[in-house]
Amino acid sequence: MTSDFLAIYPAKLMEYGLAVTYLLLFVPMWRYVQGGRKEAAAQAVRGLHDAERWPAVAVAAPWPSLGWFQVPAGVALHPGHTWARLEADGLVSVGIDDFAQRLVAPTQVDLPRAGAMVTQGEAAVALGDGRHSVPLVSPVNGTVVVVNRAVAEDPNLLQNAYGTGWLFKVKAPRLEADQRQLLHAQAARHFLDGEAEALAMRASPEVGQVLQDGGVPVDGLARALAGDDGWEALAREFFHTEKGTP
Amino acid sequence: MADAVALSGSSSFLREKVLLGMGWGEYLRSLLTPANAVAAVILAVGLPLLGYRFAAGLGATTALSQAYPWGIWIGFDMMTGIVLAAGGFTIGASVQLLGLRDYHAIERSAILTAFLGYLMAVIGLLADLGRPWNIVQAVFNYGSASPLFEVAWCVMCYTTVLLLEFTVPFFEWMGWRKLHAVLKNMLIALTVLSVVFSTMHQSALGSLFLLAPTKLHPLWYSPFIFIFFFISAILAGISMAVIESSISHRVFARQLAGHQVDVDGLVVGLGKAGAVVAFAYFFIKLQGVIDGHAWAHLATGWGALFLVETVGLALVPSLLFAWGARNRQPRAVKIAAVLAVGGIILNRLNVSVIAFNWTNPVRYMPSWMEVWISLTLVTLGVVAFRWIVNRMPIVREDPAFPQGHG
Repeated sequence: MTSDFLAIYPAKLMEYGLAVTYLLLFVPMWRYVQGGRKEAAAQAVRGLHDAERWPAVAVAAPWPSLGWFQVPAGVALHPGHTWARLEADGLVSVGIDDFAQRLVAPTQVDLPRAGAMVTQGEAAVALGDGRHSVPLVSPVNGTVVVVNRAVAEDPNLLQNAYGTGWLFKVKAPRLEADQRQLLHAQAARHFLDGEAEALAMRASPEVGQVLQDGGVPVDGLARALAGDDGWEALAREFFHTEKGTP
Repeated sequence: MADAVALSGSSSFLREKVLLGMGWGEYLRSLLTPANAVAAVILAVGLPLLGYRFAAGLGATTALSQAYPWGIWIGFDMMTGIVLAAGGFTIGASVQLLGLRDYHAIERSAILTAFLGYLMAVIGLLADLGRPWNIVQAVFNYGSASPLFEVAWCVMCYTTVLLLEFTVPFFEWMGWRKLHAVLKNMLIALTVLSVVFSTMHQSALGSLFLLAPTKLHPLWYSPFIFIFFFISAILAGISMAVIESSISHRVFARQLAGHQVDVDGLVVGLGKAGAVVAFAYFFIKLQGVIDGHAWAHLATGWGALFLVETVGLALVPSLLFAWGARNRQPRAVKIAAVLAVGGIILNRLNVSVIAFNWTNPVRYMPSWMEVWISLTLVTLGVVAFRWIVNRMPIVREDPAFPQGHG
């Protein structure tokens, strides 16, 4: 407003003052806006422990699956046969399920490196027999924090697929959204029963799985069904990582 | 015989793709809705009016004069239409360049909004030009020091980029796989171009006012006005994405059956961005006041208008965005978005119409025909948006292209 020559100095002072004020106010503003995230993460954690999805009665005991394959309580399955489990430290453990382990019985396990980003539904690990290998998808989005090297060295650990056979742990910032795509409790059990049925149809297409079958499928079932060269395609079909899909 | 086959092929295409699987009679009956009736009345009057403007000239249709050469066709159709189309590059860049894949659910509708917004702005601009046929001169005369030259080229280039981005769902709709694959592969490059062109264009619209420092009221004029324009465009893009995705996911909810899109989650995420951008925008506007030594004007009527725009419709939405994002209240974020969009519309109108030529004793009031033609363009945009979303994979995914929205 004023044409006073000296007015430029108070104006400059105010400009710098405003800039500093802005920066000082921006810090609490940013923290306030981002602060909701912790709350959201806490909600996600509560959501995962939600009684509907993770029945308290079953926490200690494995789910009594009617079929061949097991899924313990507290574990959520991805339809690509990987699982996720929220640990007490807030990280999410990831592994392959009982079905994948028995289907492939791998002698070689390729794991992501620590620090890698994994995306839900996109390939994160690979199981192989030295000649062929099949990718499996990650059940959650996040950054790999810990990798279970012991499994890479001794794939037999995978026989305890939900225990010593865990593959890696991720920091999953969007767990709440991720878990909506996962199968919990009853749904997971039904899913594995359905997959067992589909597998049985491959073994004896006329009758499928019958009560008399009784026994448990042999490890490396894919190789038994499709041969040394065909097992990879069969496994990819079940893991939803067919060639040609991204 | 071959002709008959071709004919039945093309009529089934028409029936499935254009008439939504209905016969002509059934389709025409389905159009009889109250909203369509209102739109039909607006267009029935507006389109002939647009023709009349080109036949009879600006003097016969507008209240513009030598003293007030810019009216609402510039202030609303052009300045506001373009800024509200900023969602296209804001969301496009978030998804394609910043890797925020969650937002791809609203990317296509944001790009479509931007494309239609630009088309309508171009029609509005042509209506406003005294000799619209001379617009082609912008292509052949390299007035590289002229802001209007930059504006013209950016509009042309960015509208072309938006058209190309829009062809991805269009080709899915037509089932043209090869062309679709080519354009899909170009999408990242197109997004980079869209960020470049819209950054230049949004700010160039602000740069226009550098030519008239004394005509614009000191509260709005600043040598940094192009930066204000750009930052407010980002805010407008975010806010429009909130409003537009909430509306289209409600109106077109039928198309989403079986698809899980966490619109509320996206809205809350956009609220965080909106809070930070609106906060910065408020302070930078304040900096403009200090820099322009315009404090004293705050105590006048102009100051009240300025405070409504900056405090009421920028700072308040910023705080509301922040509160809504922190407490996961999508409703609060949506209200904040409406306020912020209102603030930006008011800003563009203030800069280009209301506070422009503020010392002029004669005030401009748009003629009813100007208002009606502006309303016609908005209606055309909405009708075209709905027509396209009902047919092409914008909100929904095309089952034949499962990775289509990726």
